[in-house]
Amino acid sequence: MKSIFALLLLAASEAHAAPRVFVTNEEGNDVSVIDTEQNKVIATIPVGKRPRGIGVAPDGKEIYVAISGDNAIAVIDPGTLKLVRTFNSGEDPETFAVHPNGNLYISNEENAKASVFNPKTGELVAEIKVGLEPEGVAISPDGSHAIVTSESTNMLHLIAIPAHKTVANILVGARPRAASFSRDGKTAYATSEISGEVKKVDVATGKIIGRVPLADDKAKPKDILPSRDGKRLFVAGGRANRVFVLDEASLAIQHEIPVGNRVWGLALNAAGTRLYTTDGASAQVSVIDTVANKVVATVPVGKMPWGIAIVE
Amino acid sequence: MTPTHFVCRWLKLLVTLATLGTATVQAELLVPIGYAGDPAASGWLGAQQGHREAQIQGDFLGQRYTLTPRLSEVSAIVAAVPPAALQALARAHPGVAVLNITVTDDAIRTACQPNLLHVIPSQKMLADARAQWQKAHPDSPAEAKAWHPAFEKYAASQLNKRYTEATGKPMDDAAWAGWAAVKMVSDLVAREQTADPAALLEALRHKLAFDGQKGSDLSFRDNGQLRQPLLLVDKGKLLGEAPVRGVAAVEDLDSLGLVPCAGQP
Repeated sequence: MKSIFALLLLAASEAHAAPRVFVTNEEGNDVSVIDTEQNKVIATIPVGKRPRGIGVAPDGKEIYVAISGDNAIAVIDPGTLKLVRTFNSGEDPETFAVHPNGNLYISNEENAKASVFNPKTGELVAEIKVGLEPEGVAISPDGSHAIVTSESTNMLHLIAIPAHKTVANILVGARPRAASFSRDGKTAYATSEISGEVKKVDVATGKIIGRVPLADDKAKPKDILPSRDGKRLFVAGGRANRVFVLDEASLAIQHEIPVGNRVWGLALNAAGTRLYTTDGASAQVSVIDTVANKVVATVPVGKMPWGIAIVE
Repeated sequence: MTPTHFVCRWLKLLVTLATLGTATVQAELLVPIGYAGDPAASGWLGAQQGHREAQIQGDFLGQRYTLTPRLSEVSAIVAAVPPAALQALARAHPGVAVLNITVTDDAIRTACQPNLLHVIPSQKMLADARAQWQKAHPDSPAEAKAWHPAFEKYAASQLNKRYTEATGKPMDDAAWAGWAAVKMVSDLVAREQTADPAALLEALRHKLAFDGQKGSDLSFRDNGQLRQPLLLVDKGKLLGEAPVRGVAAVEDLDSLGLVPCAGQP
């Protein structure tokens, strides 16, 4: 009897532990919460004007949303699914990355700077001068470096942490949008929207070591993520309405997975088996099986879904 | 040892020391860009905006840009002058890119002067954009423009905001073209690591993939005209973009006013 009770408890806690996907709806001014077992929206949380970037605290206990139109970061409790507070984040926060120490590295699109905030206190920790229209932010897994892309200056700024000094400024194709680090932090990847390409960078030397055009001149790529084993890269193809799967070593395109219109955001589950995409103009999230390289579900969400994050 | 030898040795030593020092202090690349035209006009304000933005990049990459009324010994020339003066200017500075930001005459395009590049769209391009719009929207009159101060897509809103904050004025066609002319030169200076006018002219003609904040990468046609999307406007209100979806492929920038050089088929 006792063991059955324990089993039931376990089942209940597992049900609760089903990963949830949080999606910012840029034009809906809210966040959709998807239960990944049912692939259904279970809650919609109003957050403020023009929510875009989204990220999860290292302990998984808070979710942060950049509300560009309110110059603030909204904080959501992933347990209660309620907005718990907001704090001022400098002008026009577009997106950010969460450092392993919990600080947020935010791109302030209209100010040609990145700012570092402590989300627990709302305190500004540092400001870093970058190029025009900073957008993508990535932090290396060991927390020693950040990359900020500047869209109108066509650069990746490699920033040393905690000195917050720019150690390399790497010229890339027109309108760099997003960047990410490899799991070992030695390599970085970035997309350029207008030149429609992916670049691979050696972090130690700040040199470009690979480049691939996405062949389709409609492709305006945005998010880029390595697979959990590091052997593949997933690229949101924007207007190409596809996710590109690249071989990490050669950057050769292995698969093109059709999804909804204007695919911008990407999030991968911890096991690396499911990739979730925001398909902006289709107001949906596509769920991709990364082994079969195909869409296994689509989930209608709010208006113009942009950013996406998973809490497991 | 002659005095010349002595000086040469010292120079050599200095050069060696300077080279050793490059890891920390890199010599700045000086990039003077000439400007011909009325400094009270919007083209000048646009060129100044481009200069400010070029210098933001130059601060990271080691280039120092100047925008000067001097037209000799410059890396490129931005021109806002009438048609005859424009052609004379290009002839007077062979091997230096002269970037036209105000003259829309078709005849100047078909003349195909090797160093004359047109950032502003031609009359034929504007007419084709209007015709495409009329075909898709027969009841909606419109004129075609290179730019509009209320354009928001493709980060156009950011550029409009930066320009208006700096100048107190809305960004018009000549201002956009002036901004674009300086910024495309700086883009190639950074990529090619040169301020040499002939190298920049070659790169402008054959290597440009410029983000004009209009959603496409922009490059020059063989006749020196910049390929670009155009905007349809009626009574100051922004209606849409050309190439017009449904009439032409949105990526087909050559559906707008492609003309050959005179004497060519």
